[in-house]
Amino acid sequence: MTRTGIKLFCALLPLAWTGTAIAQPLVEEDLAMAYGDKATVSIATGSQLDLRRAPAVATVITAGDIKAMGATDLDEVMETVPGVHVSRVAANYFSTYMIRGIVGNPTNPQVLMLQNGIPVNDLYRGDKGQSWGGLPLENVARIEVIRGPGSALYGADAFAGVINIITKTAADIQGTEFGARAGSFNTRDAWVQHGGKLGAVDVAAYLRVGGTDGSKETIARDRFSGTANPSLAPGPLNNGYDAVDAGLDLAYDKWRLRAGYKLRDDAGTGAGIASALDPVGREKSERITADVSWSDPRFARDWGLGFTGSYLHYLEHAHYQLFPPGFAAGAFPNGMIGEPSRDQRQLRLSAFATYAGFTGHSLRFGAGHDDLNLYKTGTRKNYLLTAGAPSNDLAFNGGAVVDYYDRQSHILPHRRKLDYAYVQDEWNFARDWTLTAGLRRDIYSDFGGTTNPRLALVWDASLNLTAKLLYGQAFRAPSFTEQHGINPVADGNPALKPETIRTLEAAFSWQARHDTQINLSLFRHRTQDVIAVVGTAFANTGGQHGSGMELEATWDAGRNLRLTGNYARQRSIDDATQADTGLAPHHHAYIRADWRFAGGWLLSPQVNWVAERKRAFGDTRPEVADYSTVDITLRTNRGTKQWGFAASVRNLFNADAREPSLGNPVYIPDDLPLPRRSFYLQATYSL
Amino acid sequence: MNLTNVITQTASWQSIAGLRSVTFHWRGVVARWRTALCCVIGMTLIAAAAALQPGRGIAVIYPDIGEPYRGVFARIIEGIEQQTRSRVPSFAIGANPNMQEIAAELRRQDIRVVIALGRNGLKFTSGLERDIGVVAGGVLSIPEADARNISVHSLAPDPGLLFARLQTFMPAAKRVFVVYDPKQNAWLMRLAREAARARGLELVVNEASDLKTALLIYQDIFAGADPQYDALWLLQDSTTVDETSVLPLVLREAWGRNIVFFSSSVTHVRRGALFSLYPDNVEIGRHLANSALGYLSSGGQGPRGMVSLKAVRLAVNVRTAGHLGINLAGRQNFDLVFPEQ
Repeated sequence: MTRTGIKLFCALLPLAWTGTAIAQPLVEEDLAMAYGDKATVSIATGSQLDLRRAPAVATVITAGDIKAMGATDLDEVMETVPGVHVSRVAANYFSTYMIRGIVGNPTNPQVLMLQNGIPVNDLYRGDKGQSWGGLPLENVARIEVIRGPGSALYGADAFAGVINIITKTAADIQGTEFGARAGSFNTRDAWVQHGGKLGAVDVAAYLRVGGTDGSKETIARDRFSGTANPSLAPGPLNNGYDAVDAGLDLAYDKWRLRAGYKLRDDAGTGAGIASALDPVGREKSERITADVSWSDPRFARDWGLGFTGSYLHYLEHAHYQLFPPGFAAGAFPNGMIGEPSRDQRQLRLSAFATYAGFTGHSLRFGAGHDDLNLYKTGTRKNYLLTAGAPSNDLAFNGGAVVDYYDRQSHILPHRRKLDYAYVQDEWNFARDWTLTAGLRRDIYSDFGGTTNPRLALVWDASLNLTAKLLYGQAFRAPSFTEQHGINPVADGNPALKPETIRTLEAAFSWQARHDTQINLSLFRHRTQDVIAVVGTAFANTGGQHGSGMELEATWDAGRNLRLTGNYARQRSIDDATQADTGLAPHHHAYIRADWRFAGGWLLSPQVNWVAERKRAFGDTRPEVADYSTVDITLRTNRGTKQWGFAASVRNLFNADAREPSLGNPVYIPDDLPLPRRSFYLQATYSL
Repeated sequence: MNLTNVITQTASWQSIAGLRSVTFHWRGVVARWRTALCCVIGMTLIAAAAALQPGRGIAVIYPDIGEPYRGVFARIIEGIEQQTRSRVPSFAIGANPNMQEIAAELRRQDIRVVIALGRNGLKFTSGLERDIGVVAGGVLSIPEADARNISVHSLAPDPGLLFARLQTFMPAAKRVFVVYDPKQNAWLMRLAREAARARGLELVVNEASDLKTALLIYQDIFAGADPQYDALWLLQDSTTVDETSVLPLVLREAWGRNIVFFSSSVTHVRRGALFSLYPDNVEIGRHLANSALGYLSSGGQGPRGMVSLKAVRLAVNVRTAGHLGINLAGRQNFDLVFPEQ
């Protein structure tokens, strides 16, 4: 790998030199005056921006930022967002987003995942889905990350934060682009996207096919190492997958129709679903989305109106070797096998109206109805779960892998309906002062109703300074597995209430100099009714409180150099134990330089530093080691009818970066290793 | 029962009823369809070929520069090709272009009018033969002497459109102040005076031939400006507007005294100007193509001189609007909104 990497870079260097030599400095000052600098031009020649500015502490990552970072997956982008740290869990090596010290373990349902404003969270776990399998970014126009509570507008699970992935429209693509990428771990991708007009209809289409063998880091010891049961450790991770992603976006007048497809097949189980290495486990997930929307911001005098209908179908089918052959003194000669499957449908209808008739007020109303249906589940396996260890259930079909739907399903089909309404007013009550007040009421068919308010006071203190004070309440709906999972040691509880969080934030946005922007945000939050297993079933128990800050800065050091950086700190205390909740870093810093040089080349080195991660209560292992990783991306893009190249090395110095494994009990003592040094090379051609 | 079933069943019934007559009948029909199909394909091919013919005598010359402006030129060429409904040969010229080679190519393709983009594109055409017409675009302004013989589509937004926009944001506006360098924008001021008169606005024009004078004039303007009726217009003018002294002064004073100021440069909106009009590139291409076609059809005659930019989009700073007490809600047809978050 190292030699290949060095060879790749050597191959690229002469290109860089020739680029510099060939480029003649042609100057067109008029263009700079008419179109603005590079930053303005790329926005100005793109598409319309949404005028819906809801004051919150948010980070927007544009397609240009994504390219500069050399990010090829959503996880890589999320790690650069202040206040967010991407961690891993053993099962599927699932990426869990820790926002401001709020940790989902091992699922991540405190973060709401939206695609073009429509929720795509899985009903079973409440998070982005066990078989998420990454998200490619070629077709992403923008990623908006809101840190903090967002239930007053978005409802459930907008708890620790909201992530909105906005896909490219025809105006964002403008033409046809072909691309291919190859890299470490046999990672390969090919894609095509097109944006144009078909008559009066704007069409954007995207198709990507790819796959990877996954980083085969070694797990030295797993749950059975040093026990009487056979262990496959030391052994490599099972992290590969095949992927197909597709998208279609049609826009005509005030209408928009979108369709999406996300297939992850032959996806591996990471370090094992039950923290026992599983080299044969495979999962398949398939998500189909379709939505139609109509909106007219100037429907009538002072009125705007719009509605959206969306449909999502998601299935996860898996085959796991939960414990290896020989487990339980030969009771499972072929291993303990589980084959859960789940199919779900999400139908959402919503409408909104805006009214600007009252002077100084900007009102927004909305209402909706969601029909969320986990309509089909399957449980084929060869074991029976009991309050003790799983038994090999020889009495039932001689211990073969058979259908346990009636005997012990892992979950039965369940349907949830939701009605909601919200209102928000942006009241400009004095010059430079705006108070935004919002309220949303959700009524769930299974756990009842919840009301969530939010308040934001924004003060444009001066030309260069804006100050905000924000308060919000949010909730996390109990997931289907927490309500209806069937597991004698972690049984579902239909009487669960939602988790709640209250957050107070202060944020400052300061244009220190014309080329320097600094943002600071401070927060305190308190969560209650946290859902966790108590005894043998899920219950609302405990809570935590935390505080911290995020500092970000952007400095355009010269015409060709931009520096971006952020630093976040947080401290979260568990109410029951009064100890640190652990796992999430207390300190997290990121810095990136974007250096443009002659010939259209862009070099972006970036450093990520993760520090002070304490263990969960009861875990006696030493603190998780701090780490810092360095990535460098070199790219060129000369625009239409041109080739574009990018080369990236991640974890350049081969740092031994690890994410903490579960602490209670400890199954993987040496934690979860992140990929060592890796490379990729990418070529695109735009028509 | 779906449609395919019906058709299959009908066909089989027909074949049973009268096989021979049906067969002959079908052959005739098929033969006719085949002829019709050939005609359609033939016409399509001819039309396609015609569509692919390089556009009747028009070529584009543009500077070979990198992003982001390369994309701008690509969009303009797209607009030109849309308007002429044909492919238009385009030549990217570097710092040391081969004049003879390109001139020969132009002659070979029977080019009679060249659309020159950018200052470098325009500079190149000065070396071409006199009988090839020139339509210039992608420049702000050129010396009046040179503009006399060619049609120049400036990137400077049309004053009439700017004033119309001002009046939608500030209906009570009475006076607009502007500072300009006669060497660069005299032609624009002529248009501006007419436009202001037509819209019932008083245009207060101040001449400045260097930055220091301009600064003093701006300070005077702010000292006497009335936030209720006065607005300031910042031009694209390298003499009187610069990023390090004039712009910070204007931003500071305008915010502190609540004076409306708008700019012809879209970057200023990001810094705090209330609004600006910026180029719609594909539309510019269409206008340039029309100019070129007009030149061809009129046999070398046609309009000369500077034309202001009418193919525009709107950029607005909503924070500034809020500070000035301008109600924007309900007017959501802005193409570009600042601040971005």
